[in-house]
Amino acid sequence: MFAYIIKRLLTGVVVVVLVSMAVFALLWYGPESPARPICVQETSNRCTDERLANFEESMGYNNPIYVEYGKYAKGIFVGREMALGGNTIQCDAPCFGFSFRSRALVWDELIERLPATISLAIGGATLYLLLGIPIGIAAARRRGTLGDKLLVSSFLVISSIPYYLFALVAWLYCTLVWDLPVLGDSGYTPLLDNPAKWFAGLLLPWLCLGIFNCTAYTRYTRGAMVESLSEDYIRTAKAKGLPARTVVYKHGLRSALVPVVTIFGIDLGILLAGTIFTERIFEIQGIGLWGLRAVGSFDLPVISATAMFGAIVIIVSNIIVDVVYGVLDPRVRVS
Amino acid sequence: MSIPGEVITTHTEDSVVEDATAPRELQAGRSPLRIAAHRIRKDTVAMVCLSIVMLFVLIAIFAGTLADLFNVNLTVGRPAEQLDFLGDGMPLNGPPNYGFDPEHPFGVAPKTANDNLAYWLYGCRTSLVIASTATLFATLIGVVTGLVAGFAGGVVDKVISFVIDLFLTLPFLLMALIIAPIITSRFASDPDYPTIQKFGLVAVLVFFGWMGVARLVRGETMSLREREFIQASRVIGMPTGRILFKELLPNLVAPIVVAVSLMLPGFIAAEAGLAFLGIGVTQGASWGQTILQASPYFEKYPLYLWEPLLGIVILVVALNLLGDAIRDAVDPKTRR
Repeated sequence: MFAYIIKRLLTGVVVVVLVSMAVFALLWYGPESPARPICVQETSNRCTDERLANFEESMGYNNPIYVEYGKYAKGIFVGREMALGGNTIQCDAPCFGFSFRSRALVWDELIERLPATISLAIGGATLYLLLGIPIGIAAARRRGTLGDKLLVSSFLVISSIPYYLFALVAWLYCTLVWDLPVLGDSGYTPLLDNPAKWFAGLLLPWLCLGIFNCTAYTRYTRGAMVESLSEDYIRTAKAKGLPARTVVYKHGLRSALVPVVTIFGIDLGILLAGTIFTERIFEIQGIGLWGLRAVGSFDLPVISATAMFGAIVIIVSNIIVDVVYGVLDPRVRVS
Repeated sequence: MSIPGEVITTHTEDSVVEDATAPRELQAGRSPLRIAAHRIRKDTVAMVCLSIVMLFVLIAIFAGTLADLFNVNLTVGRPAEQLDFLGDGMPLNGPPNYGFDPEHPFGVAPKTANDNLAYWLYGCRTSLVIASTATLFATLIGVVTGLVAGFAGGVVDKVISFVIDLFLTLPFLLMALIIAPIITSRFASDPDYPTIQKFGLVAVLVFFGWMGVARLVRGETMSLREREFIQASRVIGMPTGRILFKELLPNLVAPIVVAVSLMLPGFIAAEAGLAFLGIGVTQGASWGQTILQASPYFEKYPLYLWEPLLGIVILVVALNLLGDAIRDAVDPKTRR
């Protein structure tokens, strides 16, 4: 087991390094000139070729890419000094550069926006688990009945609708048209500032994430439960005379939950990596909206930070899921 | 799942139960795909979805002709004449304040006075062209890499699998969001910018969309590789390319068809979603872009938003349900 974890961690590190290289190269070779956005910003739209060349020189875009990548990677671990126009900015570790737009350090902005995304992701994920698993169990127990068939087919239709349209319509009606009291005030207030407002602001986004995504969990849970309820040990448990509740929840659910837990881990990682649509629609100042705004204004350091953050969160959550799966299901460790 | 012998037997047993009217001899000689096609033809939901999809495809193909028929076009409207700037800025004729306007059946947009029907028709074309091109290329890349990885095994398989896993860890939306504008910004001053933008979007969708098919095909190929008919073709000295494309590929058609039919709605949703975020197709007609423009006016002019929204929802839901029906038809184990 220990060797397995070490192996997973090592591949994870390799993947993170590769992703960071890819993102760095993309932002280096992708734009016509990586210094143009900052040049346009600093000279208020009078970015001549000469000024552009100055910016490229001072920001190191004339050096070979591997030298600059080395500086970037070193900055993440020990910090570095960065040149901007004439002045230098001290950027402490972990240094991801400074935002072209606000001139603030990218890391500080990231930390500032993290709570909003985390609140959103955790709340939404909790809700879809709380809705999805019980509905899935209920459907599996009543397999083949009219209710089950209606539920399965209606959930299939709901999950076919693109999520952002679902959330957009919910927002438009709750906030713009009906102007509902609590549901309508979506937005993010830090939890410690005003817990009631925090809850009210996130309620509608949570509900949207929860109701939409619980369809998938209902499907997984139902499928896994149908399979586990037809196992021999369930028949044994019933034959022993155990109450139906114990049979379903203690014997059936336990094995059915293993695949659901793994999918949940991966989904939570994806949510934490940036709930772009949710944050955009409900105007929640989280990582996703920050990245989206950065893309709009070509704020390259912020763009690279959001990409790195998203990739790292997903890689870490995949590793955790693999390890947890290894603990839950011993067969995985062998292969 | 796609092993010919097995599929035929399971399907025969299953189909006999399902359509008792069909004589057994008719089932025996049919290929798995024909049996699947037969089952789809019997599935009402699938047929309704298929006709909806065909309708949208026809709209996309004949968008220009239909626009001419209704006498509408994409040229910029005349806001000063068509909009009530003294009042609430809404159109002077047609919805939302007045009844149906035969000159502009879907109404005109606030602020620009563009014709909604023309943008809807061409938006349908944009959506389907981008999604189907992306599906085509993603499938081609996925099938080829999957076949090579699964058949070659060893180091080649390790490398390709690693690349697939690497791509799967990248958050698609975030990456598409980043890459699409950066690639296309180079060509911002080019006269063909709208076209380049669409190609850029297709490239991004393909770049992050091929892994699913690749993994599927790799797995199937690995199990088929060890079977007798492949060994036989090796023994008679068939070149590897021929084994891959003449022997293996026909047996993979069913899972590939299923993957493709579920990939297409995904790409349609992704295209509209990116346009909604202001990233994808920002020039020219796109449903997602219209939704973005329409949401501020929703309170006064809901129809403006509902038109593209229903377009996307109906098309995507129909495609998804059709894909699901195809999967059920191909795989007898997952009956709804």
